[in-house]
Amino acid sequence: MSPKEETRVLLGNVAIARGIVEAGCHVVTSYPGTPSSEIVPGVVGFKQELGLNTYVEWSTNEKVAFDNALAACMTGKRAAVAMKQVGLNVASDSLMSSAYTGVIGGLVIVSCDDPGPHSSQTEQDSRFFAMFAKVPAYDPSTPQEAKEMVKEAFELSEKFQIPVLLRPTIRVSHAKQSVKLLPVKSLDRQANFEKDPDRWAATPRYRLMLHTRLNKALRKIQERFEKNTKWNYEVGTRRTGSLGIITCSVSFSIIMDILEETNLKDTINVLKIGTPFPLPQKRVADFIGRHKKVLVIEETDSVIESQIIDKSKVLGRLSSHIPLQGELAPEVIHDILADILKELGIVHKEMEESPDTKLDKLIESLDLPIRRPTLCAGCPERAAFFAIRRAIPKAIYTSDIGCYTLGLNLKAVDTVLDMGAGITLASGFYQSYHQDKKDVAIVATMGDSTFYHSGTASLMNAVYNNARFVLVLLDNEITAMTGMQPTPGLGITADGSEGRRIPLEELVKGCGIEWIKTIDPYDVEGLISLLKRARKYSQKPKGGIAVIIARHPCLIRYPEACIENPVRVEITDDCNGCMYCIDYFECPALLMSEETNLVEIDRNLCTDCGICIYACARGAIIPV
Amino acid sequence: MFSSRLFSELGLRLGLGIMGSETHGMSQRGGSVVAHVKLGDFQSPMIRRGTADILYSFEENETYRTLKFLKRGSVCFANLEDLNRFNRKVLNYLRQRDITFRAFDASSAALKIGSIRSANIALIGFSVGTGLVPFKYKDVRYVLERVSQKKQLSVNLKAFEIGIQEGKTAI
Repeated sequence: MSPKEETRVLLGNVAIARGIVEAGCHVVTSYPGTPSSEIVPGVVGFKQELGLNTYVEWSTNEKVAFDNALAACMTGKRAAVAMKQVGLNVASDSLMSSAYTGVIGGLVIVSCDDPGPHSSQTEQDSRFFAMFAKVPAYDPSTPQEAKEMVKEAFELSEKFQIPVLLRPTIRVSHAKQSVKLLPVKSLDRQANFEKDPDRWAATPRYRLMLHTRLNKALRKIQERFEKNTKWNYEVGTRRTGSLGIITCSVSFSIIMDILEETNLKDTINVLKIGTPFPLPQKRVADFIGRHKKVLVIEETDSVIESQIIDKSKVLGRLSSHIPLQGELAPEVIHDILADILKELGIVHKEMEESPDTKLDKLIESLDLPIRRPTLCAGCPERAAFFAIRRAIPKAIYTSDIGCYTLGLNLKAVDTVLDMGAGITLASGFYQSYHQDKKDVAIVATMGDSTFYHSGTASLMNAVYNNARFVLVLLDNEITAMTGMQPTPGLGITADGSEGRRIPLEELVKGCGIEWIKTIDPYDVEGLISLLKRARKYSQKPKGGIAVIIARHPCLIRYPEACIENPVRVEITDDCNGCMYCIDYFECPALLMSEETNLVEIDRNLCTDCGICIYACARGAIIPV
Repeated sequence: MFSSRLFSELGLRLGLGIMGSETHGMSQRGGSVVAHVKLGDFQSPMIRRGTADILYSFEENETYRTLKFLKRGSVCFANLEDLNRFNRKVLNYLRQRDITFRAFDASSAALKIGSIRSANIALIGFSVGTGLVPFKYKDVRYVLERVSQKKQLSVNLKAFEIGIQEGKTAI
């Protein structure tokens, strides 16, 4: 039996998972996406540790995850759905609609933002989605706070019968903090869906009534947030001042540390807002009223700032005091504050230290190589991309989101938009060129997990509308980039139990594809000739879209299966430093030696996959 | 990530509050990986440049890139193959800021015991051996035993002890 109160160092997402479990949540669904991916495994961990009955699901995409969670709430149970911020885009149709129809059991949506961005296509602010959808939002500053907010979010959701958004940013989700664990609630609820078609199947006329009800609920929630002092509070020794700061999430934490380090805590008051929507307007207006100027600093966008009605004293993004893009790192916030203090004529010695440009210039002069992300040495996708470039060199290469996006480094990726666009852009490109009666080679690449997410609708459309291109499905039998989550192709569910396998071949056939071949991308020569046949098929009058499933296990997830037959290679004297292998094979284990200007192998990184043998036209890479 | 876990657990053992940050996802596919750990009463998980007390750098180029985090009078432990190859101007700069810089070829030490992965632990052991960090041998060793996976434990402990010995004899 674990003790009633225990302290553990937890990752932010695991703290959120703990909050979900402490709230007695019955159902948790998600689709992996940095920085949200650790929430489901966190719940599974607690489920196993404490012998809970929580239903946990890796869904095929975020809209699917949202709906499956929502259904639980319609039966009276508590559910949580987790995703990254762009995943909320995918789930947004359901979010918007469910704000009107509401919930019975609490629904907490966790959407993790990525200011930077570190690992996303946009820096969008999920709190704006809460505003757009008209659901309340909580914005945690630390893992501990996130955990406690989850529990209140469930209560709020049930009291007002409305979905609630929790918006951690990556610096909260991937922060580590010593967190107090509290007892896990056991909510004994039996699923009971009560028919109420006026609500759950509302047609437009009833939608208007639901909208009116929603607006009323939001007003009451705003009144609640006005009174809340747990998440919305002031820090400071005085009530008034020349400069006040309104802030939230990690920016609050950073500011508190800066004010402490630079001895400004007695000069500047800070109002923390943990409930950014609906904004506690009276609290904000009162705070602004007591200061000459107020800096509103938040990530990733100006959700609080834009809700403030009287902006005459406000400094923020809208007044160009804060950058419109990029992460508000501690250095950035420090400089913003220093500039504003100067602008306001507030003299403060500790803030006047100039940034250390001497070191920056020194380091710049060293011309260090830029480390970019790259596919692992031995990754089967490198073999696939290399083969694609060799077989069909002059093509438009549409690709998608995953480890294989890094095919960019092999110059085999021309477009990356969002999940599923590898196929939709391919068919779109085809139609535009075809309209001009031009034949254009298009090779689309997509991973297995991405295909289960958004590939089928994209592919069916392409088949139905007579598009022609080659599609290579890169099946490494796992969702790799986000941390090795299982897929329907594996048939294993979130907690390791058996689900049903859906083979990719069947799915592709079901989309109407008639030409499907499966091959191991490690067989580079075989794949090259198969790709050439695929291209020919796509050009034949009676042909169509050709699909190749390039299947080989992921190196990180299945190291022994990936490198089943290790092949140690060496570079012979035939190497003339032409750099073809470096530019077009791009394995991190192949380096240009500064001394010899020839290629050498970094044995620490090399995994003996042996594929580089194909990468040298001069035959200078040979098996030993 | 392992080192960051190690120091987080150490903080817990010493009864200190812990705040830290890590990098995941695309940033882990060979890009640089930086972890921040703050022990004590801190609110934000990131270390602002010029405020770090200790820097552990496990790779040469990353050393140059992360020196900016160090404050005056702090200490840096770097895994370097050859200190003589390290940029003189940068070393001078560090000296001007009273930053103690200790290099140790942790990678070679780790390779000798057959596990390149344990280089990080060797470097941490080295730092404890020098006495330049406020962490006691028994505390770090205790935490190392607790956070190591069973099959890595003996290699980790070996690497740690090698680091300790090198640290003790380093100038």
